[in-house]
Amino acid sequence: MELAVQTKGLVKVYGGKVRALDKVDLTVDAGTSFALLGPNGAGKTTLMRILTTQIRPTAGEARVFGLDVVRQGSKVRRLISYVPQEMSVWTDISGYENLLIYAKIFGIPRHERRKVIDEVLENMGLTGVQNEPVSTYSGGMIRRLEIACAMLIKPKIIFLDEPTIGLDPAARKVVWESLQVFKREYGVTIFFNTHYMDEADQYADNIAIINQGKIVARGTAEELKHSLGGEIITITFEKGIFKPDIAQEFRKSSYVKDVIVEEEGLNVIVSDAESTLPYLINILRENGVPIGRVSITRPTLDDVFLKFVGTRIVEKGRISDVKHMRDMIRKG
Amino acid sequence: MIKGLKIMLVMVELELRRLRHDRTELYFRAVQPILWIVIYGPVMSSVRAIPTGEVPYTDFITPGIMIQTTTFVSIFYGLMMVWERDSGILKKLLVTPASRYSVVIGRSMASGVRALFQALIILPVALIIGVHFIHNPVYFVLAFTIIFLASGGFAAISILIASFMKTRERFLGLGQAIIMPLFFASNALYPTQIMPPLLREISTFNPLSYVVDAVRGLLITGDLSNLLMDLASITIFDAISFILASISFRRIIE
Ligand SMILES: Nc1ncnc2c1ncn2[C@@H]1O[C@H](COP(=O)(O)OP(=O)(O)OP(=O)(O)O)[C@@H](O)[C@H]1O
Ligand SMILES: [Mg+2]
Repeated sequence: MELAVQTKGLVKVYGGKVRALDKVDLTVDAGTSFALLGPNGAGKTTLMRILTTQIRPTAGEARVFGLDVVRQGSKVRRLISYVPQEMSVWTDISGYENLLIYAKIFGIPRHERRKVIDEVLENMGLTGVQNEPVSTYSGGMIRRLEIACAMLIKPKIIFLDEPTIGLDPAARKVVWESLQVFKREYGVTIFFNTHYMDEADQYADNIAIINQGKIVARGTAEELKHSLGGEIITITFEKGIFKPDIAQEFRKSSYVKDVIVEEEGLNVIVSDAESTLPYLINILRENGVPIGRVSITRPTLDDVFLKFVGTRIVEKGRISDVKHMRDMIRKG
Repeated sequence: MIKGLKIMLVMVELELRRLRHDRTELYFRAVQPILWIVIYGPVMSSVRAIPTGEVPYTDFITPGIMIQTTTFVSIFYGLMMVWERDSGILKKLLVTPASRYSVVIGRSMASGVRALFQALIILPVALIIGVHFIHNPVYFVLAFTIIFLASGGFAAISILIASFMKTRERFLGLGQAIIMPLFFASNALYPTQIMPPLLREISTFNPLSYVVDAVRGLLITGDLSNLLMDLASITIFDAISFILASISFRRIIE
């Protein structure tokens, strides 16, 4: 199978100090969708900026459809389109004008422009506001305009840096459905950064989890969930009596695959919850720890993330992202 | 090459569209030069402190003031580049197939177009207070072409500075530090003959002097003896600034 992206030992050090990427090896098959999932500052944007020829790696190499991003940058740029994490449209002209300018930059022939622009406006639900100045758009509308811009051409690969920041669930769905069609009909490879679990789970054929510049896990969503084992027993304790050392006791047992300690309780990963649970409860009794609640779930991507990254992603990110975007518009 | 030209035209088109939506900045920036021409000019000419030969003092400084304003517009064009760098606009633009030099020259030319409008706004005011222009459409067109080209060159310098300055504040500081010396060490307000020798030396390396000289000759005095020399200097200045700005442009998003 053809490789859309391939990196070997990719390292990026900013200013001699910050190690944003640390020997990243990655491959993405052509025609698939790929999610790079990671917390803030993990290095997602850095990787994408190297792949889109904006910055040079400190060491290692990266190829996009076989082309070296450093030595064959201009060829790479002819194959890709890109939505940066930050706001990237001119706010003092209309949405339509933004698309028109980009249609011209991409060299779309005059007689096709109107049709192509109408189509992307329609897909992103912006037809009604196309002639309004972008400064009157909401954060979500701006994001959709940016994605529309990247869909003006049919690239071999589209890079999306947190494509749905600032979008409400309905708009996220619209955007992703349209991207799925894009991928299916034109065979466009989709490479996106995100910190939304559900988005990676639902829309990525393959996922890599990145933390502190290192790829810590990769596979399909199913594979990642399976890698945790069968089931998760979540035990929450009564207020103020949680003893994290109890995790050590659990780990001694051969039935227990892994224990993840959280603030108010434990996630115990086991292959068969029903037979293991009585045993765990016994240990808790012996140690005199009263139990608050017990529940059994199958692993989600959240659990995988928790295991490899050590923290859950807090949703507050979304609101501050939108705020950031608004601030930028106001500044402009 | 053709592709590059097309990109440049698109950048100019972008600027025209922006101007169509919002011209307030154009009007605000016209206030200061109008004050120079309407107040400073007549006051100074009544005291006859500066020898300008046959030419009334206000007429003498009108081209200088126009060019000071357009240079201002161009030097601060880089501020827009800094904002576009801090947002994702330049990142996206530089990931398209458009070549870097065509983006740089295109944006510089776009600034030239903005500057052109800025200069044209001042024109009616100058006419009203009685500045006497040479009635020759060819001269007129040539003068404004020179203003356009020179502004493009200054905008490229500004983009060059923007690619080194990490914050808007620093950019603003440096912009201010450049613009006033550039203005005072030129022939915009007084003939170079009356300058102290050192300043006169400096002014011969000041691209602004050549622009003012050419435009003053074409619009006011009709003295075109230095025109070829002026044009050559402006061309060299543009070439150097375009090349330097294109080279440093990839730094801007790093
Ligand atoms: N231009 C830069 N100069 C210096 N350090 C940088 C630069 N860009 C990123 N970094 C640092 O590199 C690390 C990785 O940043 P990066 O933006 O790639 O993370 P990210 O995964 O995209 O995070 P986020 O979810 O916040 O967008 C961070 O520590 C960041 O502070
Ligand atoms: Mg990022």
